[in-house]
Amino acid sequence: MKLLRPVLLNVFTWSLVFLIAFPLVWMIVTSLKPQSELFRIPPTWIPESVTFEHYWRLLSETPFLRYFRNSVVLATTTTLFVVALGTLGAYSLVRFTYRGRETLALLVLFTYLLPSVVLIIPLYLMMVTLGLSNTLFSLILAHTTFALPYALWLLRSFMEGIPEDLENAALVDGATRIGAFRDVIFPQLLPGIISTALFTFILSWNEYLYALVLVNSDAVAPLTTGVMSMLISAFNIEWSLLMAASVMMSLPLIVVFAFLQSYLTSGFGAGGVKG
Amino acid sequence: MTAIATDPPRSAVSSPLERAYARLGVLLIAPTILVFTLVIVYPLLAAIYLSVFSIYTPTLQGGFVGADNYVELLTGKAFWNSLRVTLIWTVGTLTLQIVAGVGLALLLHQNIWFRSLARSLVLFPYFLSTVVAVLVWKWLFNDLYGALNHGLMQLGIIDMPLDWLGSMPNAMIGVILVGAWKYFPFVVIAVLARLQTIPENLYEAARIDGAGPIARFWDITLPQLRSVLTVIILLRAIWDFKEFDLLYLLTGGGPVTSTQTLSLLVYQEAFGLNQMGQAAAYSVGMMLVMLVFMVLYIRQTKEKA
Repeated sequence: MKLLRPVLLNVFTWSLVFLIAFPLVWMIVTSLKPQSELFRIPPTWIPESVTFEHYWRLLSETPFLRYFRNSVVLATTTTLFVVALGTLGAYSLVRFTYRGRETLALLVLFTYLLPSVVLIIPLYLMMVTLGLSNTLFSLILAHTTFALPYALWLLRSFMEGIPEDLENAALVDGATRIGAFRDVIFPQLLPGIISTALFTFILSWNEYLYALVLVNSDAVAPLTTGVMSMLISAFNIEWSLLMAASVMMSLPLIVVFAFLQSYLTSGFGAGGVKG
Repeated sequence: MTAIATDPPRSAVSSPLERAYARLGVLLIAPTILVFTLVIVYPLLAAIYLSVFSIYTPTLQGGFVGADNYVELLTGKAFWNSLRVTLIWTVGTLTLQIVAGVGLALLLHQNIWFRSLARSLVLFPYFLSTVVAVLVWKWLFNDLYGALNHGLMQLGIIDMPLDWLGSMPNAMIGVILVGAWKYFPFVVIAVLARLQTIPENLYEAARIDGAGPIARFWDITLPQLRSVLTVIILLRAIWDFKEFDLLYLLTGGGPVTSTQTLSLLVYQEAFGLNQMGQAAAYSVGMMLVMLVFMVLYIRQTKEKA
């Protein structure tokens, strides 16, 4: 009994984990099945033959690579912009005293919880008036609406975790505030900045609603709306092609998970869910 | 530092250095404030302003209608129907997320084989793009070739393939399930982090007192998790309440309007029915409902600070 218990616990836990991961396994399995095997009833749980033809078709016959490039530009620019602003902003919110600081922090938290659909209508009007609709720039601006409050909130928590004495010691040694920030705060904050950047990148990479409303030209569509339009436009839904697209779309995420996962978990602790 | 030394000690707040620091602080936050005003504060106020106009989306022409949009909101069926749907969706998916999240966190806290791999696999859906999640689940839900129907049939749970997203109540159950699958990892991570900080001697003391695993869960684990669970529930309630992508992509609000939450109603009114003013009014109404949760959450986080 003493020996059996851990085995049972393991089997039980791993069955649940497998059940949760099954949709992802199925996504990969489907993307590797030849067309002839796909519509077998009942489905073959383990593919009888493996093919990469869907990936090849995705890259050579569909605009997938263009969507991918758009998403890379969009998510990277948003991340750089938001993290740069957010780092300075968080430093100011945590380590300086001036009137209205508390109100500002509260406003950040409020916007962090605000629903996108409230902002989408005025933003749409704004972009049309400025002649910015159907540009990647309009999406970068729109993504700031959720990414900036999020990044500020995360960075603020990370900044609060840096002992104030470190900065004071540098100031006593004659450093300026900016010098102290560069030499003392920034190196300490770097893991937090990386974590925030990863979260922002993923948020921007995955965003759908703004892309749906602000961009209707295929040339600037990011992956989210681009891949969905491949589903809608097809007369016969090509599931294996869509699953291949899904796998490819998740690539950055897989890379992050394989190499930088600790940054994601530390971001969770900072993101306002501390117990 | 000389500034402080030579300054008469009137008040620390108004010393030249302090004032210079305050100016620098404002300077550092200024770009953020500028962007905030441009893309968040202005649109937010504009949404409230637009809600008293009637605007036809394609031409953006229209006129002032006063409170008409709000009268329609209060007396029409659309808003209340969507509010009801939103509450069903939120409560349903949130309950599943919490139960599954706490359960799996407890399991993954144990010493199991390849624990970090198991944790990674459980975490993954949370970071996955909603578009990818929806595509995969649409394929799983497919009535003819879907793995879900065939799996359930092979296990003998159902004898006929089910129409998962096209009829009620299956469509609601479907979106609640996918929502729970996508978002419960959030609960797992937050609870796991908290579990690791519960002092082991609490459990030892309980064991000496003869408490079984179930009693230990109710008497030690759950009370220790209480505060983190309150925050998780409020935060997830807010996020589930405003969820758009998942529902829009899975069912589009259908069949008819059975899964049309408030977010979808606003979108549909603005870009489907082309009534921007009315849509803005709905969005303001939605925000007012959410304000209750937001105030609760903000108070909760302030309490801890």
